[in-house]
Amino acid sequence: MTALSTDTPTQSTHSPAELREKKDRRRAITLLTPGLLWMSLFMVLPMCMVIYVSFWTQTTFAVESTLTTASWERFLSSSTYLSAIGTTLRVWAIVLAATVVVGYPVALFIGLFVRNKTLQTALLVACVIPFWTSFLIRVIAWRPMLGTEGAINVILMKLGIISEPLTFLLFSEFSVLVGMTQIYCVFMVGPITFMLGRIDPSVIEAARDLGASFGTIFRRIILPLSLPGVMVGSIFVSVMVLGELATAASLSGRKVNLLGNIIVSQVGSLKWAFAAVAGVVLTIIITAVIALALRIVDLRKEM
Amino acid sequence: MLTLSRVSRRYGETTALDGLDFVVPENTYMSLLGASGSGKTTLLRLIAGFEEPDQGEISIHGERIDGQPPHLRDIGFVFQNFALFPHLTVAQNVAYGLRHRAIAPVTNEKEITERTEESLALVGLSGFGHRAISAISGGQRQRVALARTMICEPRVILLDEPLGALDANLRARMCDELKAIRERLKVSFLHVTGSETEALTMGDKVAVLSGGKIVQSDAPDTLFSSPSNVDAARHLNAWNIFEAGLCGAAMGQGTIAVRFDQIDVSPKGKAPDGHPWLSAKYLTGEFNGPTALSFFRADDGTLLQVIDHLSQPRLPDMVEGQSYDLHFAPDAARQFHGAA
Repeated sequence: MTALSTDTPTQSTHSPAELREKKDRRRAITLLTPGLLWMSLFMVLPMCMVIYVSFWTQTTFAVESTLTTASWERFLSSSTYLSAIGTTLRVWAIVLAATVVVGYPVALFIGLFVRNKTLQTALLVACVIPFWTSFLIRVIAWRPMLGTEGAINVILMKLGIISEPLTFLLFSEFSVLVGMTQIYCVFMVGPITFMLGRIDPSVIEAARDLGASFGTIFRRIILPLSLPGVMVGSIFVSVMVLGELATAASLSGRKVNLLGNIIVSQVGSLKWAFAAVAGVVLTIIITAVIALALRIVDLRKEM
Repeated sequence: MLTLSRVSRRYGETTALDGLDFVVPENTYMSLLGASGSGKTTLLRLIAGFEEPDQGEISIHGERIDGQPPHLRDIGFVFQNFALFPHLTVAQNVAYGLRHRAIAPVTNEKEITERTEESLALVGLSGFGHRAISAISGGQRQRVALARTMICEPRVILLDEPLGALDANLRARMCDELKAIRERLKVSFLHVTGSETEALTMGDKVAVLSGGKIVQSDAPDTLFSSPSNVDAARHLNAWNIFEAGLCGAAMGQGTIAVRFDQIDVSPKGKAPDGHPWLSAKYLTGEFNGPTALSFFRADDGTLLQVIDHLSQPRLPDMVEGQSYDLHFAPDAARQFHGAA
């Protein structure tokens, strides 16, 4: 059997290419299985359950599985709940705008003006320092800052700019907006910095060489190239702000009711069907916002 | 006319440019030849204004430009990696300068369209305007970069190894086109390259950058046949540079250079009368197609090369490891004064 044979064994029914394709497919399925299992067990299934429960009949302290649209009718005709939707959307829009306004210049500095990679990373890490402590402490720390006897009021009074403490600073929608902007800003800074860091420095030099001033280069080159980063950051911030409840609960003095707060209080009073309706509405809003964001920037093309 | 006088640029301890004097005349294709790391790119970046010199003056038509920001200098720069705007189409890339420059931007859309098409036609890309940058080839990107720079009609165009990213075939074609385009534009090109063939082919004049200075700036044939110093000769990659003492007393002292194609080989003791000669050991040969290169090691360790053209072979059969006499006509040698 020393003769060299070019014959392939004939008993095998699969060609090597077919076998390889089969192996590749098996590997893909192996990689996907844990995620798919997790998602279907803990997301798709509960989501279906929530939609189902939202049509159950709510009695004072219990729900039973007789199907009815009563909860939906009550929710959609109640001014309290409709205004909660309005508040949620308003807070979302303002916080989103604030995180862009505050975060973009920071990202611009880190991503474009700091050319040392180590320093870039150090600065990005510095942005997440507030996250080294717990969420609750971060939120409550705003009280000595914004309160009537707080730092800002004391300083403004010492400077003689105001004669009596500003009361709108704490336990108002203002304090909720400030708190949320501070917490979620870093989720905007990260993706934008990443996109800006990917811009080839010679592209900006080329634009300068062609005679454009920095303002023009920013508008025509830097901003469009970083837009996918803004969009990814916006999706992060939107998803988190729309589902928010803790910041509002601890900084608004129960004056600001977001959909998240409504769900918590309904669950607290065992109004399961009602909480389910609010949950479904919230999910629809978040889905719509993400769909809108993805329509504006085609991430597949830009990334 | 672009003039640099006594220009120095240091990065920490390293000196990239050291009191460099350089003139690019009007309406000239100037090649700048330098090894990698010799400060070629630094020189271009100083002229374009992306960096400022530590010392010295840069002026164009007698007007000093160092200290001015790059977007006010009116100098074109074609980047090695092309640096096209990835989110804009070919036409938008080309029109960028006209539309968005700080000084005298063109606002008439019709004029912009016309000039963009004109510029694309000049580089042979008519009808490519609507394409995305990602949808054109490397050679086409090179032309877009050139068209984008030319459309602004800058006072001088700097090209930073513009052919480096292209394959050999395309490089040869772009060489001819670049020359033709420049002749039509009647503006000076300063083309930086590390390849001596490219520098000699392209340039009306060739300058050699070495040790932070321009060591010679001449017409290509003058430079090639009579380099004025050791550094210039070394960059041409066509000259054997060695101590005159190797040839006995005949050549005197100092460093001499003899071109690869002007050295002959003969067996030991057979060098013709009147020809200076030196003894060297044959190391190996290299076959390059139309030419063959033979390598020798002289007694003091200097590596010598001899080129033989296959159509006119003049070398004897040689055995590796054996010594031969390398000889040349007395007038073939260039003598340099001062140390190598």
